[in-house]
Amino acid sequence: MMLAGCRVLDLTTERGLLCGQILADLGADVIKIEPPGGSPVRSLPPFFKDQPGPERSIYWWSYNRNKRGITLDLETEEGRAILRRLAAKAEFVIESDNPGDLGRRGLAYPDLREHNPAMVYVSITPFGQDGPKAAYTDSDLIIMAAGGTLILYGDEDRAPIRMSVPQAYLHACVDAAAAALIAYYARLNSGLGQHVDVAAQESVGLAAQSTPLSAPIHGAETKRMAGGAKMGPIRIPLVWRARDGQVSCVFLFGSALGPFTRKLMDYIYGQGECDQATHGKDWIAFGDMLLSGKEPMSEYERMQGVLAEFLRKRTKSELFEIAREHNLLIAPVATIDDVLQNPQFIAREYWQRVENHEAGGSILYPGPFARFGATPVAFRRRPPAVGEHNREIFCGELGMSDRDLAELARKRII
Amino acid sequence: MAELPLKDVKILDFMWVLAGPGITRMMADYGATVVRIESVQRTDPTRTVGPFQDNSTDPEYSALFGNNNAGKYSITLDLSKPRAREVVLDLVRWADAVCEAFSPKAMRAWGFDYESLCKIKPDLIMLSTCLMGQTGPLSRFAGFGNLAAAMCGFYNLVGWPDRPPSGPFSAYTDYIAPRFGAVALMAALIHRKRTGQGQYIDQAQAESALHFLTLPLLDSQANGRKYTPVANYDPYHAPHGVYPAAGDDRWVAIACRTDDHWRALCASMQQAGLAGDPRFKTFDLRQLNRAELDRIIGEWSSGLDSHETERKLQAVGVPAHAVQTSDDMWKDAQLHYRGHYVQVPHDRMGRTYVENSRFRLSATPARVERAAPMLGQYNSFVLEKLLGYDEDRISELVVDGVLG
Repeated sequence: MMLAGCRVLDLTTERGLLCGQILADLGADVIKIEPPGGSPVRSLPPFFKDQPGPERSIYWWSYNRNKRGITLDLETEEGRAILRRLAAKAEFVIESDNPGDLGRRGLAYPDLREHNPAMVYVSITPFGQDGPKAAYTDSDLIIMAAGGTLILYGDEDRAPIRMSVPQAYLHACVDAAAAALIAYYARLNSGLGQHVDVAAQESVGLAAQSTPLSAPIHGAETKRMAGGAKMGPIRIPLVWRARDGQVSCVFLFGSALGPFTRKLMDYIYGQGECDQATHGKDWIAFGDMLLSGKEPMSEYERMQGVLAEFLRKRTKSELFEIAREHNLLIAPVATIDDVLQNPQFIAREYWQRVENHEAGGSILYPGPFARFGATPVAFRRRPPAVGEHNREIFCGELGMSDRDLAELARKRII
Repeated sequence: MAELPLKDVKILDFMWVLAGPGITRMMADYGATVVRIESVQRTDPTRTVGPFQDNSTDPEYSALFGNNNAGKYSITLDLSKPRAREVVLDLVRWADAVCEAFSPKAMRAWGFDYESLCKIKPDLIMLSTCLMGQTGPLSRFAGFGNLAAAMCGFYNLVGWPDRPPSGPFSAYTDYIAPRFGAVALMAALIHRKRTGQGQYIDQAQAESALHFLTLPLLDSQANGRKYTPVANYDPYHAPHGVYPAAGDDRWVAIACRTDDHWRALCASMQQAGLAGDPRFKTFDLRQLNRAELDRIIGEWSSGLDSHETERKLQAVGVPAHAVQTSDDMWKDAQLHYRGHYVQVPHDRMGRTYVENSRFRLSATPARVERAAPMLGQYNSFVLEKLLGYDEDRISELVVDGVLG
């Protein structure tokens, strides 16, 4: 495995769990460190069969596989001393507390670097380690608002809306994993670690598709629109009604996208569902003609009506078959249940069955985020139970005795 | 100045559109030499998509292309010409990694598939990224990130309960896949540096993106729960919403997770009765009566400046932020503090802006100094400086139309 032999201490809160899981998927030995009694994430719903319990949180299950887990009370000096011993030998530390929180406990980057200058220390925060908004309180919605994406989501006649499943910190976590590996690559040359500072605000900004640049370059503003976007004066629908639900379909112009529209209109014409003049438009130049007024906007709206009629008459699966056969840009809008049934993911054996005692069986997880020819991602472990690897780590690695362990447990340090 | 971590890494980049070039942009930020192959006949579609500098639709003026390709070199090649193939193979010998983002059959058709390229460069890393992956019944289904996002379930998660789903903005998986692609490429580079072994990587953008839906995918199996769009409802926060502010299409987001947040919000609103109002006394009641609560907050916020509300609420510890437009982002004090916007010189536009790397490395920070390449701008640099071709050889390529 690519990161075999790399030790990661995962101190993250609910914000940062995915980062460590990615490194774990790549073969690193990731140790999730939880307070005695278990991480607060374990009390976050939804729960398996909707029954709360520290081993039943689906939130916890989602982003802790392939990790080992220990408990350690970092509020006590004894707990912190144990963490420093572990950190002295770790390649990575990942944390997602508010800026300064770990510093108050003597566990900030400068504190741990003293014992291990080669360490890569990754911090994931809402707005970054310092600056005028570093102390802001946040949530998924707040980050989406600050990052320039929320304004682009929703219906133009109503307030902007976010995605119904939180996304902000997932973007930040994958950036954090990429940054950690760049820093680790630097260490292979220099022997030195460094501090990686990831701000979720900047991470989610990527999903605004460069529209945050409109202001400084004096470009047209992009505005939200239900099922699409308005770029300057042109309305671009991406979601369309099919007979039994919805499809996403691209209906655009220009040298790159126009040819797809031409193929689509060829097909519609072939079915006798539009006239020759409509079908024969110059789809490459059409956008420029709209902007210059050579084609009126009402003509574009009429075209959209022709397409809408074509799509509405057919089911999602009929449209997808047509798209596959004729290389058209149409795909069904899937539900979560549809995704689990998608023949592509099944054929590629994407879903990974992970045993889960609480589930009384197994559950399918999203599989490898990429397929590596020489060093494939492996699914070695289900998410750890509270303190599951205490003995392995404290006795096996730090040389404590059973009595030491019992003493730490009595003092509620583990 | 510290050496950039990837200064020895050479990447031959057959990427185009969004998801692929985003990966190599990250590599260029940290010092990799990235050479893009571009086609004059089939230009990168993002050159035709805005935002455009000064609203010009000149293909060199697209900030979307500019932002995704800053710091790279490029060479324009007509791959239908046999001699273009020789140039590509020399670039493969030069490179540590080849990255491509075509639909699966394209590289094979040119003879640039991993097996063929490995014969001339045994320790090559090759990353292929496409919508659905190199194998499987839908491998040939090509398109943009909106289609993958629809098939992954993202479209069905944005919307109002009383209307059909409206979907996320544009090509959502194109903003997830590049980060995972960068992770994959970095992992392979680390493995190669440690062992000398290269490898092939097949990234299905949909398979990467599904990691952002693990929670509903597991919940659906464990509890049979159905996921449909719920606008701004959130199970852990109440009130939780986007409220009108003074001005046209101006909004402020507010999210109260705790009773403290709620009480501080009431105090800021200067509505003394609200905190004690029996309809909103507990979290569960605030959740139950959220329609009425949203109306009351909206009435208060609608006359106020969104930034003012943000500052006022943050000052008392309530999660709040103006819903930022492009203009707000540009004026955002935090983004400026972090150097998010970077001005770079550009041969045609004079100067332009790109966004900085999205993370900060304390010892080896990103260096973003060059704009994206213009078509053909670096042809002689690549041929002369990187491949060591002499003047005669380069003029032959020009005469033969290979660089077209």
